[in-house]
Amino acid sequence: MSRRRYSVAAFFCPVCRKIPAQYAVPLLLCLLCTAPAFSQEDAVQLWGRVVSADGSPVEHASVALRNTRFGTVADGKGRYILPAPAGEYTLVVSAMGYATVERPLSLRSRQSLMLELIPDEKEIEEVTVVGKSAVRQVNESAFNVVAIDAKPLHNTSMSLTHALDRISGVKIRETGGVGSNTQVALNGFSGRHVKMFMDGVPMEGFGASFQLNNIPVNLAERIEVYKGVVPVELGADALGGAVNIVTRQLRSTYVDASYAYGSFNTHRSNFSVGHTAKSGLTFQLNAYQTYSDNSYRVKTQLLDVATNTYSQEKFWFRRFHDGYRNEAVVGRVGVTRKPWADRLLLSVTLSQEKAEIQNANLMKIVYGGRERKAQSAIPSLHYEKKNLIVPNLHFSLTTSYSISRNNNIDTLARQYSWNGEYRQKSARGEGQYSMGEYNNSVFNATANLRYRFADMHHVSLSNLYSDFNRKATDAAANSENSVAATFMRRTSAKNVAGISYRIQPSDRWSASVFAKRYDVLVRGPVDVSTVTSSAVYEEQGRSFSTEGYGLGATYRILPSLHLKVSFEKSYRLPSENELFGDESLETGDVGLKPENSHNINFNICYDRALSKAHTVYFDVGLIYRDTKDYIRRQIEQRYGGAYYANHGQVRNLGFDVEARYFYRRVSVGGNFTFQDIRNMEQYAVGGRKLIYYKDRMPNVPYLFGNADATCNFYNPVGRGSVLSATYNLRYIHSFFRNWESEGGDIIIPSQLSHDLTLTLSLRNGRYHIAGEARNITDEMLYDNYSLQKPGRSFMLKLRYFFFKQ
Amino acid sequence: MKANINQTALRKSALIGCGLLTLTLTSCDSKEDLNDSAQKEGKFFIAATGETAQYILLADNLEAGDLKIGDNVKELEQSGYTWIFNDNPLAAVGLIYQQGDPGVGLGFTANADGSLREPGQFQITSRFTSYGFFESYALTSVGGQTPVDAQGNALADANGNERSDGVTFNFIDLSNNFSLTDKTITTLNITGNGEQATFSGIVDMGNGEFLTGLVVSQPRDPSATGGASSGTITCPDSVWVAAYDKELNLKRIYRSDKLSYSSGRYRSQYYSQLGKADDGSVYVFSGSYESSTKNPCGALKINKNATDFDPSYYFNIEEKTEGYRFRKVWHVTGSYFLLELYNDLPPASVNTAATQYGVVDMANKTFKWVTGIPAKDKITGTGLPMAYGGKIYFPIAVEGDAPAIYVINPASAEGAKGISVDGASAINAVGRIAQ
Repeated sequence: MSRRRYSVAAFFCPVCRKIPAQYAVPLLLCLLCTAPAFSQEDAVQLWGRVVSADGSPVEHASVALRNTRFGTVADGKGRYILPAPAGEYTLVVSAMGYATVERPLSLRSRQSLMLELIPDEKEIEEVTVVGKSAVRQVNESAFNVVAIDAKPLHNTSMSLTHALDRISGVKIRETGGVGSNTQVALNGFSGRHVKMFMDGVPMEGFGASFQLNNIPVNLAERIEVYKGVVPVELGADALGGAVNIVTRQLRSTYVDASYAYGSFNTHRSNFSVGHTAKSGLTFQLNAYQTYSDNSYRVKTQLLDVATNTYSQEKFWFRRFHDGYRNEAVVGRVGVTRKPWADRLLLSVTLSQEKAEIQNANLMKIVYGGRERKAQSAIPSLHYEKKNLIVPNLHFSLTTSYSISRNNNIDTLARQYSWNGEYRQKSARGEGQYSMGEYNNSVFNATANLRYRFADMHHVSLSNLYSDFNRKATDAAANSENSVAATFMRRTSAKNVAGISYRIQPSDRWSASVFAKRYDVLVRGPVDVSTVTSSAVYEEQGRSFSTEGYGLGATYRILPSLHLKVSFEKSYRLPSENELFGDESLETGDVGLKPENSHNINFNICYDRALSKAHTVYFDVGLIYRDTKDYIRRQIEQRYGGAYYANHGQVRNLGFDVEARYFYRRVSVGGNFTFQDIRNMEQYAVGGRKLIYYKDRMPNVPYLFGNADATCNFYNPVGRGSVLSATYNLRYIHSFFRNWESEGGDIIIPSQLSHDLTLTLSLRNGRYHIAGEARNITDEMLYDNYSLQKPGRSFMLKLRYFFFKQ
Repeated sequence: MKANINQTALRKSALIGCGLLTLTLTSCDSKEDLNDSAQKEGKFFIAATGETAQYILLADNLEAGDLKIGDNVKELEQSGYTWIFNDNPLAAVGLIYQQGDPGVGLGFTANADGSLREPGQFQITSRFTSYGFFESYALTSVGGQTPVDAQGNALADANGNERSDGVTFNFIDLSNNFSLTDKTITTLNITGNGEQATFSGIVDMGNGEFLTGLVVSQPRDPSATGGASSGTITCPDSVWVAAYDKELNLKRIYRSDKLSYSSGRYRSQYYSQLGKADDGSVYVFSGSYESSTKNPCGALKINKNATDFDPSYYFNIEEKTEGYRFRKVWHVTGSYFLLELYNDLPPASVNTAATQYGVVDMANKTFKWVTGIPAKDKITGTGLPMAYGGKIYFPIAVEGDAPAIYVINPASAEGAKGISVDGASAINAVGRIAQ
């Protein structure tokens, strides 16, 4: 009898298999998705109850079809519903504390089945989490996709970025504590080269108050990271890859409430509730709040406000103006399982944040009154219909309109020092007097049409249209780089259309090809005057388009070993600034080429249960990125100002390794990333030889890793309780801030930090108490030069989770 | 160091404007000649930019012995510094202000062994568009500021709008570890026509006063936005120069209708077009930036301690330059000044490039184009020139080659290539530091 657990894979999420939270280790799943989120095959239904030999219900049993991606988890009363295509299967039923049952199943139409399990007292000790099934079952797409199952992290007080930071190839760079500016780097790409999505909708327009760095991990079902090759369903010019947050949308009745309190006066709370009625009417509400003083200590130079001079020595100071608060509500209401719609959901997301700004990008420059605020409102509509007109033709449409407002406020006529003292200044503004306001509105529409024929052929068409409007109003600002046109309207409409074809003749191999077309139309002000001291602006439009393509294949050599390879010629289109210039002294250029990259991935995945108690999991990914035609701002006196040019070539040859070993109640694993990212451009724009030819790219982490170990203790305080202890280690190797060949001496040092988490779950996962200790050795941590992150901190979280199918 | 140094050449300088891309030039009047030993201990200080980061290099000779960027003695935490150099004591002052954040100003001198010494870091809290030396201070100014009362509340005009006629000065005291103090004054109606002013250039008169050029304009439209601190220019045919004392009391205003205002403009910058010759007289240049002016570009003179323009002096520079107008002015030696001229005739817009150079002898009213330097369409950037030993040392970056320091003889206006810095994208400034 197999001890393998075909855990989870709730039917609304056929693409991934997850580890039930109550057995959880923070396991990274090597996830191979066809579609990023939303697909569901044409299905019949198996339903019924899982009961014990004495007839009592077995809670949360796993019910799955072997060697498929179909599976579900029974509810607290043993009830389950498992949709799957008609066919011949092996049904596998398992639950903690029971012997696993396997039996053949001929699924022809909707049918009910009572499943009986026999208690196995011994097994409870032996069973631990088995990652194998997840990898093995979902192994259909050839893309280099890694996902983190967010549910095991729901007992922690992490934001989405911290969860992302545990994925190989991903490096999160923060400028400070809770709510600080965060950059996601993916295999050396960052900023405009990595696109963020939430349920397939680009997050660009969501506003600063609803971004990865402030959304708690509890909002997510899982986080998918597409390295270098991005499926057509995520429509974007993502040169270096994409991150997709799949939000939790339980089709059940549930309440999830938590509150956490910790160091630096940090409070986080989260409340979510959902219900789906028999009629198909469904509603969900998720509200969360974060507050922190971020009053951690930093070491830096002290400004003497009387003389405006800095001390030579560095001293420790407590941060005194770094408070952060963020509140958001996500509400969804709609219907499911209607003849005219499998799902029709209307949702609204409201969010706001306020952050005090403690320091500039050099930490010794300190503020006592600057702050930024952001608010956003995002209504959206999601429609899904399967078997539209003909069987196996599935359609989905998501539209959203987001309005966001950002304010930068700097009005105090003061100059502060790190000890909290200040002097009165003679003009307003600690930096530049500003009450700047930036208003963005973005309309997004994503449509997706999928068709499967002859069982093995899959065709998918996707189209994403987005329309971005920006307006800045900052009459008080008087900054060097702004001109009147800075404050005029700019719009950018982008359309990304994609087509993909996938063939999957057997469980053994599959292959897919896809093509994308990108179109962008930008409108903005252009200076049409011809005299020196006045500008006359006129709104003009400029358009740009290009095509990209990619392919992937996967092959299973052995049941436990499979290979995959993928390729994409990816693009980043020029932005409105690059096409237009800044309407002052910068010249835009419609002749620019898009930044482009050849991205190649090769992965080997090994996943095997060596014996009852031992399982190993191993994934090695080799990546190659050849990126060209970076759009760079050039300044040349002979041309009178700045202009944009395509210049530069960067090559990245690297690997990510992830390994994990399970032995009974213990899981040990980690990942390690090395990326050799080098400048391959020999000459500057004008032909001058570059001394940093073949230099490693500066200010980019290139060697880093995580390791973790988890030990679970079952039933420590009664049946249904689990005590879980997790240790996490993070390492980042030092890197230069500028080109090494230039001979500078500024580096970001090597850093090693350690976190500990203890979680006690009671009553089969209904109550959770978690204590976290981060950076327990109180290291001085930096992701960016000079910007110190928090030292040792503690957090206690209480959570209640009620779930009823 | 060469033995045949022309001592008088060390004495000069009027600090003159500089730019975003390039840097300034400067100088102050030394009160006394430097002695030989101080010079022997001194070093040439070169600020150069790699791809983006700025580095400091030291050299003993600028005419031979090429450098590499990797020879640098210091990588700076911020890049984009504007450098000005004081004569006595020999010191480099790096000014910076970026994107709404205060900058960390840097002061450098040399140790006894000639190595770099960093006696002070100071915080520059206000933006600056003009700078120079005055007595023991490096001085910066910026116009268009919102003045506040003692409680920090903005002053309003008659219509209730926040005023924007403040000019904020930073005084960086070289005699006191580069400590910085700031002061804001208001300029509404200082010229008597109800308008406000932005200041351009700072020239030490040597008598406890400094001169600054005024760009007089209407107040900025409160709803207007943008970088320039001045509003609409209603009097493009007048030039004003103000004299202030150390407490920023307005002493007098010089006015003439022979020139347009004295300031070279680029984006929000106001480049100084004032310069003091070795004899103590101050030349007031005007590059006639304003398209609406009828006055050609030229210069007037304020004799030492005079309270009005010298009525007998007027130099129509435009007729000597074949009509090309200039943007920047640097004093070199004696009554020689180096001009940076626009490449087009007339400058079509603010975007017009300026990579032509000429030397004017203000006493003899002659002009010569500089020869022996790269052609104007090859120059991708220039740095702050330095006058030393009677010659001009001028950093020039060109297409396809390492940036180099060109050595120009002011009398003949002939240049020759000196040392280059391999691996740099630009040499931003060259000056001297000593113990």
